Amino acid sequence: MFQLGFLTFFLAVAVSALAQQGHPLTGTWNGDWGPTPTERTQITIVMTWDGKAVNSIINPGADASTGIVSLDPTNWTVRLEADVKDKSGKPVHVIADGKLEDVGAYHRTIIGTWRQGTVNGNFKLTRD
Amino acid sequence: MTHAKSKIWALSLGILLAYVPVSAQRAKSTAYDSDRKLKLSGTVTRIDWVNPSAFVFINVKDAVGTVANWAVEIGNPLDLQRDGWKWNSLHIGDSIAVEGIPARGAARQTLATSVILSKTGARLFTASTKPKPKPVSAPTPRWPDGHPRLGPPPGKTGYWGAPSSTVLVENTGVAIPMNKDGLLNNIADADKVAPFQPWAKAVYEYRQRTLFKDDPYNRCIPPGGVRHFQNHYGVQFIEQPEVKRILLLMGGGDRNWRIIYTDGRPIGHKDELVLTYYGASTGKWDGDTLVVDTVGFNEKFWFTNGGLPHTEALHLTERFTRSDFNTLKYQVTVDDPQAYTRPWSGGWNIQWVPDEDIQEYFCEENAESIFSR
Repeated sequence: MFQLGFLTFFLAVAVSALAQQGHPLTGTWNGDWGPTPTERTQITIVMTWDGKAVNSIINPGADASTGIVSLDPTNWTVRLEADVKDKSGKPVHVIADGKLEDVGAYHRTIIGTWRQGTVNGNFKLTRD
Repeated sequence: MTHAKSKIWALSLGILLAYVPVSAQRAKSTAYDSDRKLKLSGTVTRIDWVNPSAFVFINVKDAVGTVANWAVEIGNPLDLQRDGWKWNSLHIGDSIAVEGIPARGAARQTLATSVILSKTGARLFTASTKPKPKPVSAPTPRWPDGHPRLGPPPGKTGYWGAPSSTVLVENTGVAIPMNKDGLLNNIADADKVAPFQPWAKAVYEYRQRTLFKDDPYNRCIPPGGVRHFQNHYGVQFIEQPEVKRILLLMGGGDRNWRIIYTDGRPIGHKDELVLTYYGASTGKWDGDTLVVDTVGFNEKFWFTNGGLPHTEALHLTERFTRSDFNTLKYQVTVDDPQAYTRPWSGGWNIQWVPDEDIQEYFCEENAESIFSR
């Protein structure tokens, strides 16, 4: 089962890794969020563009959840909303507002604020 | 400006304009600031006679005697040779005077508009001003079954080069001022270029504003999509009717190739294909026009000069019509519903280059000398 899960994750990463020059959010994004510089939680988000909406899978695998992502191309701001599980497994709502930096770069970033439940913090994601 | 000076500048500018597209692995708009001019005199220290562009390096002494080494881009070796210059036209130790366009930023680099050998007064680019002879007019060559030949007739050589346009814009009849790299004179004209989705327009404008600094072609990524037909280095059709396929060899893409199957196989679906730079192509004849459908593109490249984005949903329909021996009409319809609001079309003519084959070309040939400088 682990091998199948790993293979699924690997294929998801491999397929999304092809995307470089299309929709600027398409791809696999890795990074972390947290309320302080030392208290961080790793996050992985796979985003795809279907022509009308950006689809996202947060932390692919057993604890994966889907999110709603919107991009405002006039200022490259990005909003993510999702219901994820916290460390104890309880569902918690996430609202992240960020800005896409260096849009044309292979390893572009999204940096902004991350609110998870009642906890406020910041986040940084870099596209693989 | 005196009449004589203006003649010299006009000559140099003419040379430059004729010359700009030929060394364009890196878009000149990206590397050089055409609003400025530069004059240098110095001693040749190194000559790199390599693709995609030959460089001469010179030591230049300033007013207080400090010596700095400058890179002078002089053009593509193939074109320089056609114009009568050879790798040994200059020698280390020669003194030269250079007029050029300086590189953007602080790099000690210039794109030469003229180079004069001090000891003889010979102008390096003189031969470029000679008008190229027009090819002899002739009817479209044909196969025994009546289809036009897209390659050379038996016993001949030749390829398709010198496109009439090096940019792709929607064919609406509206002139959109831009340079040969596709850089708009006025960014407000973006809406006239193609029916972009909002994100695609924003990406296009970003690439324009940043002078194509992220263009994958600059890093030797292949010229997929329509881009190999915008390339000065040309394409060659190798028709193989016995196996029902046509090979397209690219002159500007590191000996790349593309296969067009004409055996009636259905066009593929991107979800079933390995996504590539050139996609999967099927072709059929519609009268004297070869119609080619291509899907299965990856998103690792820019499919045209100018920075128009695309997605994996891109479907190109190309129409090739050899209207006479020397002219190939190229029309393309771009259907990418994830980047554009509707299908749109554009095109240009490509000229036959007789009695030559496409030349060996490797874009990274001067990577060590230039990019690690």
